[in-house]
Amino acid sequence: MNVLKVPARTIAVFVLPCLILYIGLVFVPILVAVYDSLLDWDSINKAKFIGLDNFKTMLFHDTNFWPSVRHTLGYAVFSMLEIPVCLFVAALMNRYVRKANTLVSIYFVPVILSVVIIGQLWKTIYNPADMGGMLNGILNSLGLESWTRSWLTEPKIAMYCLYFVSLWQYFGYHLLIQYTGVQNIPTEVYEAAKIDGAEGFKADWYITYPMVIPIFKISIVLAFIGSLQAFDLVWVMTGGGPAHATDTISTHMYTQSFLSLKYGYGSALATSLVFICLVFTVFINFVFKKVEAKYT
Amino acid sequence: MANKALKTTAVAVTAAALLLGATACGSKNDNTNNSANNSANTGTNAGTNQPAAENVTITFQNIYPDPETPSYKMLHTIVDQYQKDHPNVKIELDSLNTDQQKLKLKTQAASKEVPDITIVNPSAQMKPYVDAGLLAPLNDMLDQNGLKDTFQKGLLDSYSFDNNVYALPDGNNIEVVYYNKDLFTQAGISAPPTTFEDLVADVKALKAKNITPIAIGEKDSWTGSFLFMNVLLRTNGGPGFLQDVLDGKKTFKDPAFTGAVSSFQDLIQAKAFPDGATSLDYNTGGNLFKTGKAAMYIMGTWETGAIDASSVAGKVGVFKFPTVKGKGDPDQYMLAPGSAFAISANSKHLKETKDFLNYFMTEMPKKQFELKNAVGSGQIMTGDFKAAGYSDLAIAVLDLFKNVKGGDLAFDNTMKPAIAQAHLSSIQNMFVQKVDPANVANEHQSAYDSNK
Repeated sequence: MNVLKVPARTIAVFVLPCLILYIGLVFVPILVAVYDSLLDWDSINKAKFIGLDNFKTMLFHDTNFWPSVRHTLGYAVFSMLEIPVCLFVAALMNRYVRKANTLVSIYFVPVILSVVIIGQLWKTIYNPADMGGMLNGILNSLGLESWTRSWLTEPKIAMYCLYFVSLWQYFGYHLLIQYTGVQNIPTEVYEAAKIDGAEGFKADWYITYPMVIPIFKISIVLAFIGSLQAFDLVWVMTGGGPAHATDTISTHMYTQSFLSLKYGYGSALATSLVFICLVFTVFINFVFKKVEAKYT
Repeated sequence: MANKALKTTAVAVTAAALLLGATACGSKNDNTNNSANNSANTGTNAGTNQPAAENVTITFQNIYPDPETPSYKMLHTIVDQYQKDHPNVKIELDSLNTDQQKLKLKTQAASKEVPDITIVNPSAQMKPYVDAGLLAPLNDMLDQNGLKDTFQKGLLDSYSFDNNVYALPDGNNIEVVYYNKDLFTQAGISAPPTTFEDLVADVKALKAKNITPIAIGEKDSWTGSFLFMNVLLRTNGGPGFLQDVLDGKKTFKDPAFTGAVSSFQDLIQAKAFPDGATSLDYNTGGNLFKTGKAAMYIMGTWETGAIDASSVAGKVGVFKFPTVKGKGDPDQYMLAPGSAFAISANSKHLKETKDFLNYFMTEMPKKQFELKNAVGSGQIMTGDFKAAGYSDLAIAVLDLFKNVKGGDLAFDNTMKPAIAQAHLSSIQNMFVQKVDPANVANEHQSAYDSNK
């Protein structure tokens, strides 16, 4: 396996700095959190070991846990549904737009903005019309008064408003990834297909999409993991409110650990988040292995 | 083969790294122990042989980071003066926003590294720190220079546990209703309401003129709770409802509580609050009032200075929160004893820190008075406010203070953090949907029972 033909010692020296950082900053804290999740601890006074009680409370008694899981998974589903759209747009751009780089850069702008700025921006857009809310203002001027509402404070729709902002922000990010993937497909393949009579959407269907699957997978995994950790945007825009209507696992964890001073319970939530991440990452990899085996 | 060698090396190196980490930790502990011993020794030496010669650095964590505020100026003048008078003492300021400071202190407390002076909040909120033995009792220091007598009567009770005072407050405020006289006139309201029913009627009159009746920033959910608790203070016919719950004499299913919920709901359903209130933060909510868009602002008297500095200055009056269904005494208020200065029990320079805080607390009222920031001070003021140029609003607020007949502390000052969080979100929920008061009571009771 040693294709590099260098002594193992050298490899170890190069790998070690990262490995130590990774173990110290990722792996050890996870283990510590898992241990903390077995404690009844306010992070100040003496901790009491209570076994799996935190997990029992979480699964069976915490009325906010399952909704927060649902919101988080909703986040993930919507983010992942966005990727095919990105891919579709990328394929179109590759074919019809001559200098697409400028366009891609423009789409990319929201990604480099800070989440706090984006949160404040969209909060203002969603505001009621009398407070300068742009969305409601537009609806009013279109004569759609009945559609106006205070978007972020109606429990039933607030979460979707948050999803939308995230989708808007990361559209350019995934578009860039997909566009790069599409561009990397050698032109010879298309030329050969042209001779066989496959052009336009047909070529996309039989060549572009199958060949871009590995890149597609990267986007899906990134979108999934990114949305499981959704915290900053939610915190800036709604703080998990009104009354937990937009709580994700992360915001719930924050509230429990630092505001309710149930550090042990917060750690239990963190542990479950790690667990969900692992399970789904394995699952996604499994699915893509099947898909890749079929098409490549 | 190479693979195996690689594995062995990797394992060896990882093990070495772990060992290294372990020994590093070990030696670090030794060091801190030694230095702690050393400083303890030098401390006693300094006390007997050569007083005040040792160089001392005191860390002062505080919540006055904004140079624009009077509190910042007060802090810096006093600290500068003290350092000038005591060349061997260096005060290191760690200025943070309120929320940052709360988080930082929690983190520091977890590793027992509380700064020499820090900020805590009264009663239930500071109790975990006291229970963990992190704070030093200040009784001896309060007796020096007559500091104790400068505080308002009973105020220090909110910071005392087992007859020991653990922190000294930077203020003492009450909840009042600020109102914009111009907007009241526009809506044809002649006098401030004295009953809750009048208040609801006034809300409707203001709403009819398209004026936001009451400003609030309910994204920071304590704001709604603070207001709700004032209603509860009235429906309960006086203070002490939460204490009665804690003592097992009442439950949240008591009619006083459900009555407060339904009255508060009347106010919300009368559209008293801005649309989308739960997405407005505290500052945005307050600005609705300070820019003249909202007619009332029900808040602690700490806002007086900011209102005087805003564009509605001069148009604002103040009145007492009215009676609810004929119950309650308007001279009883929601009390907000301020954030307070506490000293770490593990401070290396406990004596010097106490001396400094004693000086600081003695100087603070004078400086606050000069900076026109003395409304809501926790210490007794002797100066003439009118002569010093305080505004009519400030004088009106100070007059309310003269007749305070007790009251209640905020919910999160009385109940454990976990119960307080459940309460806050339960109240926030009322802003977005109609609720059955019995359900709200049940939510509270079950949160209380499971976190006792």
